[in-house]
Amino acid sequence: MSRQAESSALAAAPPGAAPARWTWSVLAAALAAGALLPQVVTSTLAITLLTQAVIGGILATAVGLLIRQAGLVSFGHAAFFGLAGYFIALPARHGLWPAEVSIVLAVAAPTLLAFLLGLVIVRIPGVAFSMLTLAIGQAFHEFALRAREITGGEDGFAISLPRALYGVPTEIFQRPQSMFVIAWVALVVILFGLHLLTRTRFGRVTAAIRENEERARFLGYQTVVPRALVFALSALIGAVAGTLFALYNAFVSPEMLHWSLSGSALIMAIVGGTKLLWGPALGGVVFFFFKDLAGDLTEHWPAMIGLTLIVVTVALPLGIGGALVRLLQRLRPAGGRTHG
Amino acid sequence: MQARMWTRGLIGVGAAAAFAVQAPALAQETIKIGVPTALSGTYADLGNQAKRAVEFAVNEVNAKGGIGGRKLEVKVLDTEAKPDVARKQAEKLALEGYKILTGTIASGEGLAMAPMLERWDALYVVTINKADALTGANCVPRVFRVNHPDEQDAAIVRPWLGTRKETKWAIVAADIAWGRNSGKSFAAAAKANGKELVGEFYPAFGTNDFAPYIQQVKNSGAQGVWIALAGRDAINFATQAKQFGLLDSTFVAGVSFVTDNTVKTLGDTSKGIWGIINYSSTLDTPANKRFVEAWKKAYNGDEPTNFEGETYIGMQVIIQAIERAKSAKPLDVARAMSGGTFDTLYGKSQIRAADHQMVQPNYFGYVGAQGGKLRPIITTTFAADQATPPPSGECKMPKL
Repeated sequence: MSRQAESSALAAAPPGAAPARWTWSVLAAALAAGALLPQVVTSTLAITLLTQAVIGGILATAVGLLIRQAGLVSFGHAAFFGLAGYFIALPARHGLWPAEVSIVLAVAAPTLLAFLLGLVIVRIPGVAFSMLTLAIGQAFHEFALRAREITGGEDGFAISLPRALYGVPTEIFQRPQSMFVIAWVALVVILFGLHLLTRTRFGRVTAAIRENEERARFLGYQTVVPRALVFALSALIGAVAGTLFALYNAFVSPEMLHWSLSGSALIMAIVGGTKLLWGPALGGVVFFFFKDLAGDLTEHWPAMIGLTLIVVTVALPLGIGGALVRLLQRLRPAGGRTHG
Repeated sequence: MQARMWTRGLIGVGAAAAFAVQAPALAQETIKIGVPTALSGTYADLGNQAKRAVEFAVNEVNAKGGIGGRKLEVKVLDTEAKPDVARKQAEKLALEGYKILTGTIASGEGLAMAPMLERWDALYVVTINKADALTGANCVPRVFRVNHPDEQDAAIVRPWLGTRKETKWAIVAADIAWGRNSGKSFAAAAKANGKELVGEFYPAFGTNDFAPYIQQVKNSGAQGVWIALAGRDAINFATQAKQFGLLDSTFVAGVSFVTDNTVKTLGDTSKGIWGIINYSSTLDTPANKRFVEAWKKAYNGDEPTNFEGETYIGMQVIIQAIERAKSAKPLDVARAMSGGTFDTLYGKSQIRAADHQMVQPNYFGYVGAQGGKLRPIITTTFAADQATPPPSGECKMPKL
């Protein structure tokens, strides 16, 4: 299959078309499934693991979006994830302002920061961009580690949240059953939003820039701001994941900012498949459970993850998501034509 | 045919479901001990010692038929000595029914787990974390400590430091809760003894290259150095300090620095280094002699290390508390622990109700040859009442 044929097979619908009726059905079904799951699954352990997996899936979606929409590989997305956590934790620790304000800032500040950084660094292609994101991420990590008086250093600290947030009992964010639904809804809304976004003019312009930045520029398009916007959007999604994580765990530590988390997010996205919008999220959930299982089986779990990554990238270049789509197409040869 | 297959399938599912419902009832028979500890990373060596000690104690009890006929079961999960991972793994253990937790290494991990115990309906017996806060400002009803917190170590460092002739001192300690705690206590001890502190260095946890710190210690003109580094940090620092001549030019002492295991790895490099000895297999108590003999039999003649001894003491307390409570429910066990006196390797030791800290003796010594082998040798023994300061008053322990 040629590359073009592959990507057209993987695209849900031609760009520019209004969302088909089935997409709304999928949205409704996805939301309903998430709301029902805690009713069906009674094991608290399973739900708490699922909640963490979905939050990981959101972070992976952020990294995947950047690859899919801008062709940029980030090694530093833990920065936005962790910054969100510290934006919630630090004001509470130092008694600066109400938690409700912190939560807004936790999402807004990393997004703004990413946009401003993006204006500079998206101009730099390839590996250099990745290295810059790595450096930026590690700078925040180093600060959280070293500024012990402010951040609690390596040990991190528990976040003291008020009893209610926006009039909702804080308990809701910390009980696995309810937090799973919140995280799931966030993931579904993000994926659906991104699905709509790829159909807009902005979506097409950024795709054009990704394919050939020089040509897009010659056609008269501004190419830096759109890419910085994609970077900011990706940071926003990462910050949402970090906010959910911090609310759920009520704990922050520099690990939230560490490059190993950025690396994990990238692995999740690749394993799931970055050609698909929902691939990275799937990869995130699979990665989480695989890591959990491997950790139960052996203390050499990092080796198992490494081996699996090699196998997946070699055997399934489109990721698990891509392999699933192909499998479905093979099972229903006529299925692709119904809305073609 | 199809219909029959369906019914068969349904019966199968039904049977599986019935089994799934029954499984927890059966599982209640065993008493589950969860060990969230470092199996990889800087403190992996410590974590494996904790794991060995818990497994040894469990095998010992199970060989005798368990506690009241109930066998013990252990599950160990890797925390990488990272607080956030420890929190996740401890939660997982608790939700799987392993609600009696022990054997965690870094103080930051213990501090991250402590506020969650109530929610998990779990219990945590500290055997290696040293930060004072766990039985001080951050104490909670479901945390008990059987090992020596930093303030107990500091209580014996102060009189010892007065006997040293070195007047200029430097501190090198890990930049984590325990290292900071130890550094602060040593600084206070130095001040109380009229010593001058010429440098304080806090390398990050898991540092590989200590050269810049070693150089700065040398430049500071320190005559003595206090070290609070453990695991791979201790090995890396000691090896590099030897290469740079720091160990030969300066008097070196520390805590958790030259332990039974690091001495094995470092060999002659560790010779003559002084330090706190929290537990030694050479302790002269009947209980300890029995323990060491049984351990040697189980592990090819190896003697138990300090961390193994301390974690074993934690298991002694857990087992006796379950026996007394006649229950393995965390809350019942916690009630039996608070204020209780237990038979440990040190003799009879009490866990104070005020802060859940066990009162026990402490030791000081240096690394030297004994019985043809290099090991930490005890030179000074501090009795329990002398070694344990009264509750700091920072802990406001809520009722269990």
